Amino acid sequence: MKKLMEVKDLCKTYVIEKRQNNVLKNISFDIEEGEMVGIMGPSGSGKSTLLYSVSGMDKATSGQIKLDGKDISKLSEKDLSSVRLNDMGFIFQQMFMMKNLTIMDNILLPAVECDKSSETRKEKVARCEELMRKLGIIEIAGNDINEVSGGQLQRACIARSMVNNPKILFADEPTGALNRQSSAEVMDEICKLNKEGTTVLMVTHDAKVASRCSRVLYIADGNIRSEYKMPQGLSDRDHERALNNWLLDMGW
Amino acid sequence: MFFHILKKELKKKKAMNLIVLLFITLAAMFVGSGLNNVITVMNGTDYYLDKAGVGDFVIITMGRNSVGDLDEMLESEPAIDAYRLDTVIFGSRDTLKKGDGSRIETKNVLIMQDLPESTFNFFDSNNETPKALEPGHCYVTGSFLKTNDMKVGDVLEVGQEGVTVRLIIDGKAKDALLGSNFMGNTRILMHSDDYKVFRNNETIARDYSGQICCIDTHDISAVQEAATKCRSINFAQPRGTVSMCYVMDMIVAFIVLILSVCLIILSFVVLKVSLSFTITREYREIGVMKAIGIKNRKIRSLYLTKYLAMAVVGSIIGFVLSIPLSKLLLSSVTENMFLGTSLGFGINAIGAVLVVITIVALSYFATRIVKKATPVDAIRTGSSGERYSKKSKLHLSRAKRTGTSRFLAINDTISSPKRYISIVIAFTLCMLFVLMLVNTTNTMQSENLITAFGTRADLFVDSVSESMKIMGNSTDYMNKYFDEKDAKLKDLGLPGHFSQEWQYTYNAEINGKTHRIIAEHGFRTNFDELVFTEGTAPQSRNEVAVTSIIAKKLNVKIGDTMIIDFGTEKLPCVITAYYQSFNQLGEVIRFHPDAPVDPSHMTATMAFQIHFDDQPTERQLEERKAIIEKNFIHDKVETCAEYVASCIGVVPTMLAVQWLLLGITILVVILVTILMEVSFVADEKSQIALLKAIGIKNGRIYLWHVLRFVIVSIFAMILAAALSIPMTHLCISPIFGMMGVSKVNYAIKPLQIFLIYPAVIIITTLITAFLISLSSRTIKSSDTANIE
Repeated sequence: MKKLMEVKDLCKTYVIEKRQNNVLKNISFDIEEGEMVGIMGPSGSGKSTLLYSVSGMDKATSGQIKLDGKDISKLSEKDLSSVRLNDMGFIFQQMFMMKNLTIMDNILLPAVECDKSSETRKEKVARCEELMRKLGIIEIAGNDINEVSGGQLQRACIARSMVNNPKILFADEPTGALNRQSSAEVMDEICKLNKEGTTVLMVTHDAKVASRCSRVLYIADGNIRSEYKMPQGLSDRDHERALNNWLLDMGW
Repeated sequence: MFFHILKKELKKKKAMNLIVLLFITLAAMFVGSGLNNVITVMNGTDYYLDKAGVGDFVIITMGRNSVGDLDEMLESEPAIDAYRLDTVIFGSRDTLKKGDGSRIETKNVLIMQDLPESTFNFFDSNNETPKALEPGHCYVTGSFLKTNDMKVGDVLEVGQEGVTVRLIIDGKAKDALLGSNFMGNTRILMHSDDYKVFRNNETIARDYSGQICCIDTHDISAVQEAATKCRSINFAQPRGTVSMCYVMDMIVAFIVLILSVCLIILSFVVLKVSLSFTITREYREIGVMKAIGIKNRKIRSLYLTKYLAMAVVGSIIGFVLSIPLSKLLLSSVTENMFLGTSLGFGINAIGAVLVVITIVALSYFATRIVKKATPVDAIRTGSSGERYSKKSKLHLSRAKRTGTSRFLAINDTISSPKRYISIVIAFTLCMLFVLMLVNTTNTMQSENLITAFGTRADLFVDSVSESMKIMGNSTDYMNKYFDEKDAKLKDLGLPGHFSQEWQYTYNAEINGKTHRIIAEHGFRTNFDELVFTEGTAPQSRNEVAVTSIIAKKLNVKIGDTMIIDFGTEKLPCVITAYYQSFNQLGEVIRFHPDAPVDPSHMTATMAFQIHFDDQPTERQLEERKAIIEKNFIHDKVETCAEYVASCIGVVPTMLAVQWLLLGITILVVILVTILMEVSFVADEKSQIALLKAIGIKNGRIYLWHVLRFVIVSIFAMILAAALSIPMTHLCISPIFGMMGVSKVNYAIKPLQIFLIYPAVIIITTLITAFLISLSSRTIKSSDTANIE
């Protein structure tokens, strides 16, 4: 498999009131194309910082991050914006949307900005509708963001993150703000996208969610303590049980 | 704990709090100085006239046989309690030269007077009465020194009919009677010895003498009627008219008051916005405080204390700053006046207290939301609050070509118009006042007002010395004089003719009562060009037009008859029309050209007029001005618009106030934009972070924010420009009406009103919004994780 992302010696240090806080300490890992990787760890271990650093949303203090062979840690803010727009998708725990836009317009917004293809606005709209149909939210296309449920809104966020066909999808606790049913639905969608070829890197606290990943990185005190590869041929329940056992071993 | 929260609150929103404090300071400053200015000027006019000894009624005689004519009336009229009579010599601009022989500018007739013998009080810059004066020295009144760029110690050469005296200027004297912009006469107050040099000249004594008399009376109308028996009266008006001459100074004062009101409204609009913003941002905290049982009163008092503290601090600073500002604003008025200032600082303090009270009241109403919301509402809805109404009005999916930034900006302003109302109000109000002032100032220096001063002409030549030569002479002399002038004009290759507007004083009998009236009559003027507001123009010698002001005063209307004693005959004249005039503050009537006027009743002349036979272009007129100035011994040659501006006199002051107002408007626009954009960036932090997270570049985000302000400011400018014309008519016409012209055809310059001034505001907004939007650069896409 081709390596889509290569992270080498990644460090992130915050200086708060003259005191250095090394949140990430020389982290290195790779993600292969089509993989679905979970990041787990206790609160404050640096999971979200890692996700934001590798996605270029936050500047790493040092280290190298390569996306599809291109070192994004050296890019300017302007170039990083282009990478985020064209090659990355992001799903947040909070379902952030532009307040004054409809669900459809929120999804369409990155597509309009994207100049990857020579599609017309009409074609982009059609593609958004197709994506929404696939995610089961076409009926709320014209709704305002306050008129839909949390689950629908998160699926809309997934649609938005997928609208430019990104190479990699980052998700920061995508089901953290959802109930169990909505959570399962959202995960179904993410897994479906992964099966269709989208690489996913996801931070989660939920072992059930993480059990659907092909690989889980356990992070504690700014270091990757261990890595868990899902064994082949197990049922979902067995996957979850095996992961829970591993997490117990990690001190979860 | 309470104070700890308050301290945090003040510290956390430093920029916002500073701007609000600045607005409170500005409001207190302008309320204080504005109130002070208006009250001082309103009361000050009477104070000034009393100190100067203007009395209840003023009579000025001028020209041949004017001296002594008044004495009999003063001695015999029982309604006169006391009077102060000064003999003066009238001169013209060319009477005066600088020590080096260069030319000097004065407005209207020049008056030379014996200062030690004067019964009238003048005031120096320290408001002391100058009496001691050495021979060879003088004081001058009005804006003479300023206009001619002269200073104390400079030498003035006064020459009349071959008599010349050189005088050293000892200072400027304030003249309550003739020093107003409207009167605009300059007096040269000299030593008795110097004055006698002129007085002893026979020609000067005969042709240029006059008297100024201030009368104390218990019956003004009786004195007014008695004055009708005097000849050569140039001015016979009660004290109220003199007071009214300060109306232009009052306009400046009222503009400052309007400006203050505008700033108060703005301050409160901004305060309300910042309060609402604070409350929305603190919704969750309020909810928590409510949930743990802190009483509404206590939560509300937190915000009330904050705004009370800011109001007190801002008002104290504003009060202190209002004192020099009062002096600065009054300086344009006190330059020519001696105003009482005993109440000065008290008024400023009252203004500051008013600002504090209003701010606290406004804060109280703004914090009602604390009482309304339940703890759960507040906590659950958090910073955004719950919305149930449809928000998005436009659809990106349907906008085929609109770019993202443009779409977001348009959609935001359409979807949440309430959010931008305060900006629209602030910008519209400010711009409206600027545009009203621009319209007024442009009108004051346009041809539109010429008919309020007389008939229209191509050029106006103001020469008191030439006017003095013809005043009181026979009609034959005048015809000869004007024929010669026309011939000279022809010799210069400028085909055209001279004309002049003259004022006569006659007795008119109306309903059995005799009144002294001033009538306007044109000699060789284009009568057809006069504008009559109602009725039909006089068609024959026994028809007259009256101004609505004199019609009201004499209780006459169109169709009524007045018997005018022309000297040669008593002619019943029918009033056929109303017209408007600034002359004599509107207390005039107009004769038909064929009226049997008698030159011996002539009391004043206006500028000479030149009517060219061809229709010269503006450029040609400028060239001809130079030719006429060179070939005729005349003081000043002006175009129609220039003549109107110099007759009105306050154009430079109005222009100064206009620039001040524009400066304040720009300042307000900058402050409002900063305040709003700072709050927008803070309020939309999550949206900005999200846009960055999905790959939208910073430039697009700046554009989105800037375009919103541009859209709103364009809307406000359109509103202001559209309202400026009716509002100018509504607010400024009554002021012109006080001076005799209530129907004004305003000079609206579309380029200025609809383009230049709005563009200044839009560009200011654009630049400010752009600079503040740059602060969104610090918001990172990863901040989505830190947003509460």
